[in-house]
This record gives sequence, structure tokens and C-alpha cells, in this order.
Amino acid sequence: MIIRILLFLTLLSPALFLAFNIIIVEVLEPVKYIYTFTGACSIILLFSTTLLSLIKNKINLLKYRRMIGLYTFFYAFIHFLNFFVFDAQFDLNFVVKESLDKPFIYLGMISLFILGFMAVTSFKSLYKKYYIYHRFIYLVMILVTIHFVNAQKALSIEQWVYLLIFIFIMAFKMNQQKSLLIKR
Amino acid sequence: MKLRNFNLKDKDITPEELFNDRRKFLKLGAAAVVANSSIVELLAKDKYPTSNLQYKKDLNPLDLELNTFDQITSYNNFYEFTTSKEKVKKLAHTLKPNPWSITIDGLVEKPFQVDVSDLIKQFSLEERIYRFRCVEGWSMVVPWVGFELANLIKLARPLGNAKYVRFETLHDDEQFPDQKRGIFGAIPYPYVEGLRMDEAMNPLTLMSVGLYGKTLENQNGAPIRLVIPWKYGFKSIKSIAKISFVEEEPLNTWQRANKKEYGFYANVNPEVDHPRWSQAKERVLGKFFKKKTKLFNGYEKEVGHMYTNLDLKKYI
Repeated sequence: MIIRILLFLTLLSPALFLAFNIIIVEVLEPVKYIYTFTGACSIILLFSTTLLSLIKNKINLLKYRRMIGLYTFFYAFIHFLNFFVFDAQFDLNFVVKESLDKPFIYLGMISLFILGFMAVTSFKSLYKKYYIYHRFIYLVMILVTIHFVNAQKALSIEQWVYLLIFIFIMAFKMNQQKSLLIKR
Repeated sequence: MKLRNFNLKDKDITPEELFNDRRKFLKLGAAAVVANSSIVELLAKDKYPTSNLQYKKDLNPLDLELNTFDQITSYNNFYEFTTSKEKVKKLAHTLKPNPWSITIDGLVEKPFQVDVSDLIKQFSLEERIYRFRCVEGWSMVVPWVGFELANLIKLARPLGNAKYVRFETLHDDEQFPDQKRGIFGAIPYPYVEGLRMDEAMNPLTLMSVGLYGKTLENQNGAPIRLVIPWKYGFKSIKSIAKISFVEEEPLNTWQRANKKEYGFYANVNPEVDHPRWSQAKERVLGKFFKKKTKLFNGYEKEVGHMYTNLDLKKYI
């Protein structure tokens, strides 16, 4: 239980840090900053949840997976709110037009939708029925990778690292799937 | 750490000269009252540089609201250092802008080299308060100090067949860390930009050597850079080492990196989206909400006539 509370607070702390930076400390381009910050949090947590299932045979931490997954959605949702409230300034026409028009935005929207679906169906009763669809998380990983690469003018070193981690996880997962098939 | 000041607006700040005068006056008596906390406070707030250039003031007839010196010098695209706009300031110390000579060659009567300090002596400097709009969607208002590029072109005496001006940033991996990364660099180096001759001769086109009355900070493109207020910021090439007069349209760096997204002209235009993001609005640094972007960044009257026969949707 203690671990659970600590994990909850640890995962919440970036949001508090963000709020502190936006409200108290002067950030020159706050909206851009919120995008980068929440996007990075969400991607790192997305990687973490998938890693937990990859290493489950060595260390089983699956009981924390749901919380990390929910936080992934939480940061993705702030990311979206930033788009809707601060960037689009509630201009629904703009949101719809951009979402249909600009590839990186519709990829982000699809990912958010899948993450939202997973968050809603993560309660025990629903999870039993829908867990099979939670494999869409790998689709989300592919989509958000294209999403953040496509949103840049040129990739930074951090983003190259994300790309490497992404390739690593995907290769590892495919390898795991393959060995499962062979075992069967 | 900089703390946000909730009450202070730019227009509330004392004009720089008055502020400096007052500071000089206060400094006279400072020894006597060194413990006076109001002086300590005043010095701590001293975020504006001491002027070191002689120039004619811009009276700011459009009443543009200036960005602060701190904002202008803390948020910079300068890929020769890093792709992070916030980190450039810290890394920029490796650039050595003094002395600095510019090579002028190509289709001119006689190629030559000239030192930036000589240019500053030769041309009378003036302040130009311009809007500056980045292709990424942010903008600022900067009080540049410089001289019209047209003056330098007249000095260079280009030949009749010179149709374009090509600019190059310094290529020196000792001074620019990202140039050391070879194929892992963010963009190909040296950075290249270009202007059509009429654009280069336009009175708005400025060779800037300073801002807020002081010689340029490294991160802003010291010691000399181009400023073309009606074009996206990437056209305003920094730390210029070479200017060539050419017959063919130069292939500028961003066009070379991604032809579908960046063209030669890069005129600010809210009607023509970047393929990946909208250009209809912009966010002024320090402001939370966006404002509408204007055609040619609000300089249509001065520059629109150069593009009457150009399809602005095609020639991005």
C-alpha cells in the first residue's frame, strides 16, 4: 500500500512541477512548454507500462500497470486540453479542421481516443470483457511516435532517444510474441 | 530562477535612457548608501543592457509593444548550438564575434573582405522596431539596431547580372558545436539564405548589429545578422560570414532540408498553412493567448508590390 501511495505521488509530481512552472516561474512560451512537458510525460509512462508487461516473467510488477496507464492517459489528456483551451482557445471549428487536416494532430487524437477507451475499461468488471482490446497500446505507441516526430522541425537528441526506446520495445515485444507462438 | 512579476507591464517600465541616467546618478551616491535596500533592489531589476552603440532612435509610430531584452535573448532558434530554444543562451559563449570579417564575392566589381567594426563606423546606425514572426508560430517585437542592407549592396557594387544575394553563416565547428556532429547535425551546414535583389534593396531589409542599443548577444546572431521583418524568422540569417551576389536563386538551408515545407520566399502569410501546422495565428512571447497573423507580417504596404505577380500559395 505504501508503495502504491508513493507511486501515485511520484507520478503526480510532474503535474505539480508543471503547474508551479506555469503559474509561478516565468516560461516564455507556456503553451509550447505544456505540450512538450505533458507529451514527454505521457510517452515515458507509455513506454513504462509496456515495459512492465515485457519484464513480467522476471519481475512481476503488473499490479502497478493500471495506475501508470491511467497516468499516461492523464498527461495525454492535459496535452489535449492544452490544444483545446490554450492553443485553439475553444474554437471548435479550428479543432475539427486541424484534426482532420494535419496528420500529426489526427494521429494524436486517435491515440488519445484509444487511451481514453483503455482508461474507461480498466475497471475490473469491464477489463475482463475488454482486455483483449488493450493490445491497441502498441498501435498507440506507433501513432504517438509518428505524432511527435511529425510535430518537429528537426529532432532533438531526447527525441532520438525516444525513437531508440520505441524500436527496442517493439523488437522485444515481437520477439516475445514469436517465442510464445513457438511454445504453443 | 526568474519569478513572474504579476503587476509589471512593459509599458510600466521606465524608458531605458531615463533608467540609465537615474542609475548613473544613483551610482554616484551608491558608495555612501550601499546598504540601502532600494538600490540593491534596483540593481537586481536591471535587466536592460547599457547601450554601447550610437544610433538614431525609432520613434515607434505604430506603438508596438516591445518584448523585453530578457525574452529576446533567452528564446532563440540557433541550430548551430542546439535545437532547444531555451538552451542556446547558455551554449552561445563559444562564438567569438570580435573581430569578425565578412567576405563579399560573386558578381561584384571587386570581391573584398570587410570588418564588421568598420561597417559600423562607415554606416550610420538606426533603430528599427520590427515584428519578428517565426515559422513555428511564435513572434516577438524587437528593437533592432543596424543599417539597411541596400547601403552595403551599394558599397559592394554588384554587376548587372547579379539577380540574387546569397548569405552564409560562419562555418567553424570550434565555435558552433552542432557543426561538429557531421551527418548527425540538426541541419546541413553552413546555413544558407538568399534574397531576390529587389527584396535585398527594400528599405525594410536590415543588417542588424545590435538590439536594445547594445551590440548583438551571441544567441541573437552576433556580430551581424539579417532582419527581414515580412518573412519568417529563418530567412533572417545569423552570424553572417559571407555575402555573394549570384545569378541563380540560391538554395536556402530549410528549402534544402524539406522542399515541401519551406520555400525560398517564406513570406509571412496567414492564408497559407505550413503543411503540418496552421499559420493563421501567432503567440507573442510572454503572452498566453494568440493573435491573428497579418499578411507579410503587417508590412504589406511596404513590400506587397514586389509580389503582385507571384502565386503566394505556390511560392511558399
